[in-house]
Amino acid sequence: MKLVALIKKEFHRFFHDPRLVFTIILPGLLIFLIYNVIGSFVGTTEKYQYKVYVAGESSLTEVVKATVEASGSTVEFVPIGEEEGKAAVKDEKASALLVFSGNFDAAAEGGSVEIWYNGSAESSAFYNLASAVLRESAMRFSVTGHSFVTGQDLAKSFIANLLPFLVVTFVFSACMSVTLESVAGEKERGTLSTILATSVKRSHIALGKIIPLSCIAAIGAASSFLGVVFSLPKLIGADLGALGGYGFGSYALLLLLIMSYVPLIVSVIASVSTLSRSVKEASGYTSVVMILVMLISILSMFLTQLGDWVIAVPVLNAVVYMGKILGGELLVWQSLLAVGANLLYTALLVWLIAKMLSSERIMFGK
Amino acid sequence: MEDIFEPIVKAENLKKTFALSRKQQRVEKTQLTHKVAVNGLSFSAYRGEIYGLLGPNGAGKTTTLRILSTLIRPDEGDAYLMGHSVRKEPQKVRDCIGFLTSELKLEGFFTPDYLFDFFGAMHGVEKEVLAERKRELFSRFGIDAFSQVRVRDLSTGMKQKVSLVISIVHDPDVVIFDEPTNGLDVLTAKVVTDFLVELKRMGKSILLSTHIFSLVEKLCDRVGIIIDGKMIEDGPLADLCGGKSLEDKFFEIYYGLRGEVV
Ligand SMILES: Nc1ncnc2c1ncn2[C@@H]1O[C@H](COP(=O)(O)OP(=O)(O)O)[C@@H](O)[C@H]1O
Ligand SMILES: [Mg+2]
Repeated sequence: MKLVALIKKEFHRFFHDPRLVFTIILPGLLIFLIYNVIGSFVGTTEKYQYKVYVAGESSLTEVVKATVEASGSTVEFVPIGEEEGKAAVKDEKASALLVFSGNFDAAAEGGSVEIWYNGSAESSAFYNLASAVLRESAMRFSVTGHSFVTGQDLAKSFIANLLPFLVVTFVFSACMSVTLESVAGEKERGTLSTILATSVKRSHIALGKIIPLSCIAAIGAASSFLGVVFSLPKLIGADLGALGGYGFGSYALLLLLIMSYVPLIVSVIASVSTLSRSVKEASGYTSVVMILVMLISILSMFLTQLGDWVIAVPVLNAVVYMGKILGGELLVWQSLLAVGANLLYTALLVWLIAKMLSSERIMFGK
Repeated sequence: MEDIFEPIVKAENLKKTFALSRKQQRVEKTQLTHKVAVNGLSFSAYRGEIYGLLGPNGAGKTTTLRILSTLIRPDEGDAYLMGHSVRKEPQKVRDCIGFLTSELKLEGFFTPDYLFDFFGAMHGVEKEVLAERKRELFSRFGIDAFSQVRVRDLSTGMKQKVSLVISIVHDPDVVIFDEPTNGLDVLTAKVVTDFLVELKRMGKSILLSTHIFSLVEKLCDRVGIIIDGKMIEDGPLADLCGGKSLEDKFFEIYYGLRGEVV
C-alpha cells in the first residue's frame, strides 16, 4: 500500500511531465533522425534487378522471389553448377549464388542453404533480403552466408564493438536524467526526511525509487536501443536490413542484457544520490561513475580474450556479451548468468540504500 | 484511562554527541573531534499546550526535535511521546506525531491535492478517512482555491500552508515544528503563527523550536531555554519571566552563565 503510493508518485511525475518524457526518448529519436537524414542522402532504397544463380533445387526460391518483388525489385533465378556460380558471383557477373543441399525440399531435416555474394551494393542488398527470408523459415535447415569481400564481416565487428559502447552510454544517461533529480532532489528538498519521519519501511522507500525509475529508464534504453539498431547499419554503409540479420534469440538476449543493466545503473546512481547532499554534488559523483563505465566499455573493445569471469563484473559483462552476440556468437548461458549477476547486484544495492536511509550520518550528517 | 496530567512529551536525560568532520572542524574553527549537541536534556510538555524550545543557533534545538521525531537516536536517555519510547517503539511514535522543518521544500511538480494524498498514504491513512480530512483541512485553512495548482506556481505563503497541512495529514496528537518561521517574510510568518493558533484550538499539542523571543511570547504556554545542549530554565512562560520581558530574562541567564555582568 505505502510502496504502491511511492511507486505511483514516480510514474505520475514522469508521465505528467512531457519535458521528462521527451528527454528520455530523445537520444533514440535523435539517432533515428540522423539515420533518416543520412539514409536519404545515400539513397539506400534503390530498386535492383537481381540475377541470381541457383545450384541445387528448392521451392524456397519462390518465397524469396515474392519478397524481393514486394520490395519493388525483380529477381531472375538461373540454374548453374556450384563452382561456375561462385566464379560468376566473385566477378560480379551475378548478384548472388544460392546453394541448396541435395534433395532439399524432401529432406525432413539437416538440409543447408549457402548464400554466396560479393561486396557490391546490389549483392549485399540481395543477401540481406534473402538471408532474412530464409532464416525466418529455417527450422529444419541451416543458412550460411559467404562473402567474397570482408566488408560485411568488418561491418559486423564494427557494430559488435561500437553498439555496446553506445548502448551503455545512452542507457546510462537515461538512468541519470531520471534518478538524480528524483533521489538527490528529494534529499536536497528535505522531503525525504519528511518521509523518514513517517512509519514507511526504509526498504520500501528504496524499492519505491528503484522499481519505477528502472521502468522509466528502460523506456529510454529501449528508445536508444531501437535508434541504434535501426541506424548503425545504414551509417556504416552496409544495409543489414531492419533486423541486421540476427536471429530472435540474439535479440532476446541483447534486450535482457540491456534491461538488467538498467536497474543496476539506476541503483548505483540512487546510492550515490543518497550519499550526496545535493543534486549538484550527486551529479558530480555520477559523472565520475559514467566516465568509469565508458572507460570499461571502451577497454573491452581491445580486450577480446576475456575469460568467463567477466560474467561477475557489472558493466563489463553487459558490454562483452552484447559484443559477442552482435559478433554472431550466441552465448546463452553466459548471458543469462550475467543478467542474473546484474539483478543480484541490484538487489544488493537496494538493501544498501535502505541501510543508508537508516544511517543518521548519511541522512543528517554535516 | 489516560492520565490527563501525564505529559504528552517527556524527554529524560537526552544526550547526543556528533563526531565532527574535518570540514566542520575548519568551519567551526575547532580542534575538537566531537561535539556534544544535546547534553542531558529533560523536559515535559502537556496536552493542548504549545511548548517552545528557545535557544541561540547551535544550542541543540534541531538535534532534540530530531530525536523526538525518531529521525536520530539518542546516545543516552530516552523520550516518550504519548507514552511511546523513541528508542523502543519508533514506529508507534511516528504514527502519533507530525513533523515539519522550515527547510522542507515540497516538490514543485505536484499539486497540494496530490501531495496530501501521497503523505496520507505514507502514514497509512484509510482512503475514505483521508478524503474527509482533506475536505475539512483544505477548507479550514483555505487551500481549496489552489488545491489543483502545482506547488511551483504557488506563493510562498500558500506553499507554507500546504506544508503545514501535510504535516497533520494523519491527525497526529503531537505536532513538532523546527524553526517554523525561519527565513519567512512577515506575511508568510503570519500564516504560520495563525496556523499554530488554529492547531491549538483543534486540541493539538505543539512542540516548536525557535530563536525568536516574540514568537514564544505570542504563542507559547510553556518555554524551555536551551543553551549549549542543556536545559537552563523550563516552565510556564509567566513564571519564567517573572514580570520581565522574555528577552531580558534570556540575556540575564545567558550572560549569567558566562559570568558576565549585564
Ligand atoms: N549531524 C551532525 N554532525 C555533526 N555535528 C552536528 C550535527 N548536527 C548538529 N551538529 C552540531 O551540534 C550542535 C547543535 O546543532 P543543532 O541541534 O542543529 O542546533 P540548533 O538547531 O539549536 O541551531 C551544533 O554545534 C551543530 O554544529
Ligand atoms: Mg536548528
